[in-house]
Amino acid sequence: MTHLVDIILSFVLLSIIFSFGSSRLQGLIKALAFQGVVVSIVPFFIGHDITEGGVLFSLTTLLIRGIAIPFYIYRFIEKVAAHRELEPIIGYNGSIFTGLLLIVAAMAVSRKFSVPSASTSLLLLPTAISLLVGGMFLLMARRKAITMILGYITMENGIYLVGTTFSVRAHHIVEFGILLDVLAGVMIMAVILQNIKLKMQSGGEDTSLNIISKE
Amino acid sequence: MTPIIIFIPAILSAPFFPAIILKVKAFFGGKKGPPLLIQYYTLAKLFKKGSVYSTSTTYIFKLGPMVSLSAALTALMFLPISGAAPLFSFKGDVLFVLYLLGLGRFFTIAAALDTASPFEGMGAAREAYFPIICEATTFMIFILFYRLTGELTLASFFYGNHPLELWRVAGAPLAFVVTAFFIVLLTENARVPVDDPATHLELTMIHEVMVLDHSGPDFGFIEMGSFCKLFFYAAIVSRLVFPFDLGHPAMNLAAFSLIMLLIYAAVGVIESVMARYRMDRVPKFVLTSFALAFVATIITLEFVK
Repeated sequence: MTHLVDIILSFVLLSIIFSFGSSRLQGLIKALAFQGVVVSIVPFFIGHDITEGGVLFSLTTLLIRGIAIPFYIYRFIEKVAAHRELEPIIGYNGSIFTGLLLIVAAMAVSRKFSVPSASTSLLLLPTAISLLVGGMFLLMARRKAITMILGYITMENGIYLVGTTFSVRAHHIVEFGILLDVLAGVMIMAVILQNIKLKMQSGGEDTSLNIISKE
Repeated sequence: MTPIIIFIPAILSAPFFPAIILKVKAFFGGKKGPPLLIQYYTLAKLFKKGSVYSTSTTYIFKLGPMVSLSAALTALMFLPISGAAPLFSFKGDVLFVLYLLGLGRFFTIAAALDTASPFEGMGAAREAYFPIICEATTFMIFILFYRLTGELTLASFFYGNHPLELWRVAGAPLAFVVTAFFIVLLTENARVPVDDPATHLELTMIHEVMVLDHSGPDFGFIEMGSFCKLFFYAAIVSRLVFPFDLGHPAMNLAAFSLIMLLIYAAVGVIESVMARYRMDRVPKFVLTSFALAFVATIITLEFVK
């Protein structure tokens, strides 16, 4: 354990397991925010991007990915009071085990790649792959739409980290464009979900439509 | 000579520390709490009494408390308490100690089943279920330590400043290991949030329900055995939390006692601020410790190649 970034990334790996085992939306969002913050500060630790533009982009990413998006979703959940259980398709214990297997697989797969950053941090690519696949798993294994959004954002964090890993310079413009898309996507999804919620409340009991929450 | 000088006071002080937990809990409840020597009084009271045996029990029932106490005592003999050399040590004693603790548990369960009481069977089923996951965690942790040190003795992990070496090689993952081991400590010793040692409602108890039929000296053995077991786990955690060797046995012992007090106080704080988990939530909690140990192992294996 030599590099500081590896210590932080090992906590990200842990937060993936935590988000798999968490039965509450709040816990999931906190894990997400943590992942967002770490993912956006990783470039500093690897040592590239210490230009003015790079710092500015990274800080903006931190602001949006680590604070704005989680805060927005948190607010949304408070508003529609959807903080009950997540109704998993795959149970929490099963999910934790899947998460462990997933990390092992990510470790195994990442050895096959030869990436420029492997010399500085051993955990970078495994964490990126784990986030990517873990996000996909959350998308599949949870029933509610709000959890799917969270899974999607986890996946996006993973994609960003893969980007950091593979390209050593000048990936900001593309990443930033994607980030803005994600922000817009989250907002649109929130609005849609809110409307569905309102429709459901006024439209009587259509229980087959309980995609947000079942009180 | 030093191992014995340290071992005997360690055993004698084992009933002292749980009183700290009671004191901390009383403090949180705004009460005065029992005296610090309460467990000694309890043991003395129990050993003065006679035993009552149900007619449905056999010799297994009488064997249970003795085996569980001696298993815990023997396990302590292999542990480098406060970093001093242990009484015994041989290659592979880690496995021996783990199975020794398993043997103690087996006999507690067997004695509980021997009473032919449905309540005790229920407790036995739970006692058998949760520690299985704990064992997986402990094995995972020792596999990690084996990878780091290349040896398979408790002494090579916890003697002197060897834990410092573990920290130096493994770094942050060892913090996961400490957390995982603390969860194992709580589960194995039937503390909150897995089990509530204060409750006396049969439906919610795990460990307490199995020892309902024991009385007098037998119950004293069981109590003493559980104090020793708690001491064993707390001593390991304290070695991991405070991995330094101060140079002099007396100073090591002082530091060790202080850390032990803090660990027991931490258990007390957890018992005060947390409620017991619902029975079906417990496996997830214990599984968390396994996940922690597992992640720590995978990450560390990536570095130690």
